[in-house]
Amino acid sequence: MSIMIGLEVHCQLNTESKLFCSCEAYPRDAQPNSSTCEICLGYPGTKPVINKKAIDHVISIGLALGCRINPESYFSRKTYFYPDMPKNYQITQYEVPIASEGSIEVNGMRIRIRRVHLEEDPARIVYADGNLETASHVLVDYNRAGTPLAEIVTEPDMKSPKEARAFLEKLSTILEYLKVYDQSKGASLRVDANISVDGGERAEVKNVTGFENVEKALNYEAVRQQNIVRLGRKVERETRHFDEVAKTTRTLRKKEFEEDYGYIFDPDLPVLDISDEWKSKIEKGMPELPDIMVKRFLKQYGISEYDAKVIVYTGKDFASFFEDVCRIYSKPKAASRWMINYLLKSLNWRSERISQSKASPDTFSELLTMIDKGEITERYAKELIKEYVDTGLRPSEIALKSGAKPSLQGLRDIVKKVIKDNTKAASEFAAGKNDALAYLIGAVLKETGKRGDPKEIARMIKEEISNASVAQ
Amino acid sequence: MKRVVILIRVKTFLEEVKSGSIDTDKFVSDVKASSSSMQEKYAPFITLNEGFGKATPQKGALQYLPVSVKDCLCTEGIRTTAGSKILETYVPNFDATAVAKVKAAGGMILGKTAQDEFGFGTFSTNCAYQVPKNPYDPERTCGGSSGGAGCATAAADFPHIAIAESTGGSITAPAAFTGTVGLTPTYGRVSRYGLIDYSNSMDKVGVISKEVYDSALMLSVIAGHDPLDSTSHNKGSEDFTKYIGKDVKGMKIGVPKEYFSSIDSNVKKLVEDAIAKLEGQEAEISEISLPSTKYAIAAYYIIAMGEASTNLAKYCGMRYGKQDKISGEFSEYFSSIRSSGFGEEAKRRIILGTYMRAAGFRDAYYIKALKVRSLLIKEFKAAFKGVDAIATPSMPMLPPRFDEIAKLSPLEIYNMDKMTTAPNLCGFPTISIPVGTSQGLPVGMQLIADHFMEGRLISLAAAAEVIK
Ligand SMILES: [Zn+2]
Repeated sequence: MSIMIGLEVHCQLNTESKLFCSCEAYPRDAQPNSSTCEICLGYPGTKPVINKKAIDHVISIGLALGCRINPESYFSRKTYFYPDMPKNYQITQYEVPIASEGSIEVNGMRIRIRRVHLEEDPARIVYADGNLETASHVLVDYNRAGTPLAEIVTEPDMKSPKEARAFLEKLSTILEYLKVYDQSKGASLRVDANISVDGGERAEVKNVTGFENVEKALNYEAVRQQNIVRLGRKVERETRHFDEVAKTTRTLRKKEFEEDYGYIFDPDLPVLDISDEWKSKIEKGMPELPDIMVKRFLKQYGISEYDAKVIVYTGKDFASFFEDVCRIYSKPKAASRWMINYLLKSLNWRSERISQSKASPDTFSELLTMIDKGEITERYAKELIKEYVDTGLRPSEIALKSGAKPSLQGLRDIVKKVIKDNTKAASEFAAGKNDALAYLIGAVLKETGKRGDPKEIARMIKEEISNASVAQ
Repeated sequence: MKRVVILIRVKTFLEEVKSGSIDTDKFVSDVKASSSSMQEKYAPFITLNEGFGKATPQKGALQYLPVSVKDCLCTEGIRTTAGSKILETYVPNFDATAVAKVKAAGGMILGKTAQDEFGFGTFSTNCAYQVPKNPYDPERTCGGSSGGAGCATAAADFPHIAIAESTGGSITAPAAFTGTVGLTPTYGRVSRYGLIDYSNSMDKVGVISKEVYDSALMLSVIAGHDPLDSTSHNKGSEDFTKYIGKDVKGMKIGVPKEYFSSIDSNVKKLVEDAIAKLEGQEAEISEISLPSTKYAIAAYYIIAMGEASTNLAKYCGMRYGKQDKISGEFSEYFSSIRSSGFGEEAKRRIILGTYMRAAGFRDAYYIKALKVRSLLIKEFKAAFKGVDAIATPSMPMLPPRFDEIAKLSPLEIYNMDKMTTAPNLCGFPTISIPVGTSQGLPVGMQLIADHFMEGRLISLAAAAEVIK
């Protein structure tokens, strides 16, 4: 059965202050309701004044998604009663949004963007000791009220939950590259997902956070709807809620109980005029977008397309890290291999982004150089990276102080000492007697307490003996 | 010898304050006593400012002048109800920009004047508090919704100016019925910050005063751009009193025939006399036609109620104003607060306004009304190509008695606004001036000009002014 998925993504925008007042948008460690004023609490008589930075951000999102920027757009009031709404209406864009009709390519598929508009976030609802159903009462924290949101609405162009997830991952990377979205400040992406099967009615799963959750919610919905169709019944149009614990969706309200938002133009805000100058100023200031960066990486660093995509789409911080490493260390292919296969794995294990981690391009380059020089084995390097990500110590320091793993320099010193102490065996080996090598390896392992890779030791012995012969 | 008081003109008073010939302490206590007795007789106030005259006012254009403020404008530390029970306990923590400007100019806030709840009315009878009585005849209305402002201005036996507000005629109506001057500025001329919204695309902070000079003076103080109000116009303020005494010779006044049919004949006569007086000063009078005016009331009420129904959504007993013990679901709690907190007319406008913007109806009502507004603006603008100002009666009748009002249907009451809705809907400035009395009751003439042409209105109004 065919599946159609369309998404509405709400991105909290990276601004200092809220959308309509000067309260801090992402107050750190703030008491509930402390970052509020009469405007974001909707006190009688107050009026909104728009934050220009938020408009800049929506313009740049629109441009990055290939949208048309509308020279005139409007703000509207979407009226419904809810305790998280200071005015019981939300200021949003209804008639004409800032940006319309774009598209992006995700894994070879073109996903159309219907619109990108600007609106205000409601307050945060806290269910006291429980959830929506079980809580005895709710608390409201208006610190979030008035945070600027960009709503990005797609056409129903995704054909599987997996595709929807891939779209979201790509979109969030783009938003991050644009610097309009900063998770480290506490900004989040929330998704409303619309899904229908076989051209039937759609269900909307509201307010899901986390791309994995979106995929799970959609998978659950797809199966639920397919089962209804198989039983010869019709899927009903409704709004559903995703239970993050049970990983299921359930009815929130049926179509006939949907709110009628009674949109009117917000008479407190004039028409938003976006001039060509404004648009081109934003365009000029836009950073390199991920797809362009991938192409550049292929050319500039000669790495594989797969590697380039992983590096770029892991995040802007990861890509910058790679470029910084390449400035210090001259082998981009090796750098990308070690970053993707080992560094990224360790970071993921810790659920850490590279920008939050203790790794630095400088110290990571040192690690790569040590491998190249043979100061540590590759096998040990893989181990070392874990400790490096955990502690942030310099790789050379970790190798040195590690009793469990001899540093290669230390190993080389032991090899030198063993050769010096066993000149007979050494000259026998030089004369071509292989048994002597086994003897020497045994002697080294005895010294290290059986630590060290025999192959590595053999290689070192060979090197040392041939060096010595050359010296003679 | 310092003068005590005090029925002197505002202009004279302010000059004497400057020259030091007013005993300001005595003045303050006299004004307090006088406003208390005025309140007993006519009830112009919802709240009298307890702190009146306690602090020495700032030096400025209004130093020591008692200024009353319509109750829909927020006043820091003074209860602000907008005439509604739902805000009975609401004390703002900030001043509306217009109020802050009055204070900065040395004005002293006398009290908060009565009004129809949130501005919803023409007679100030839809007020959750005392209804102001007309000083000409206490059995009659002062008009609305700025009825308290008109009442206080007419009744005050001391120099005073009222800050009022008009959405669809709420300055002109009380000015006409109380024999005072009412200046409704161009939409956006005066900041709406701190004005409790009725219909944001039409709400205008303005003035009611005894003389044209006073209104011009007050407009000079409160006008100007405000970064806190995105719809406030970029134009700065100016000294509007300079337009007083200008020669009106050669100024063109249009008289729209639609505004003179089916109105009280006494009103018609007095307004025509006033127009003749301007003609006597060699203003050029011509008949014009504004045929789309007949759609103005419908368009006005649709937009006003549509906007009002969203503005009133915020009053739900959660963050300020009327509160109750929380029980049940939030929607039950909100409903109980709103059911007991709003008056009849507020509920009517919420229901009608919600209907007119509902899916399936909004195109037929709300969107169409917006188109009518554009059409009307075009029609007026075309008229202003040929005339400097338009003269009409302020109200189509003499101030009615309260017992007569009680018998009127809502629709009949809405129709009383037929002189004022078109210019208010279109954001044009108007001034209403007293042009005499009929059966001992005052009659007003309304002058309308193009956007930001208050200066012209002031010149014409001063020329036609009848000083009692
Ligand atoms: Zn705020």
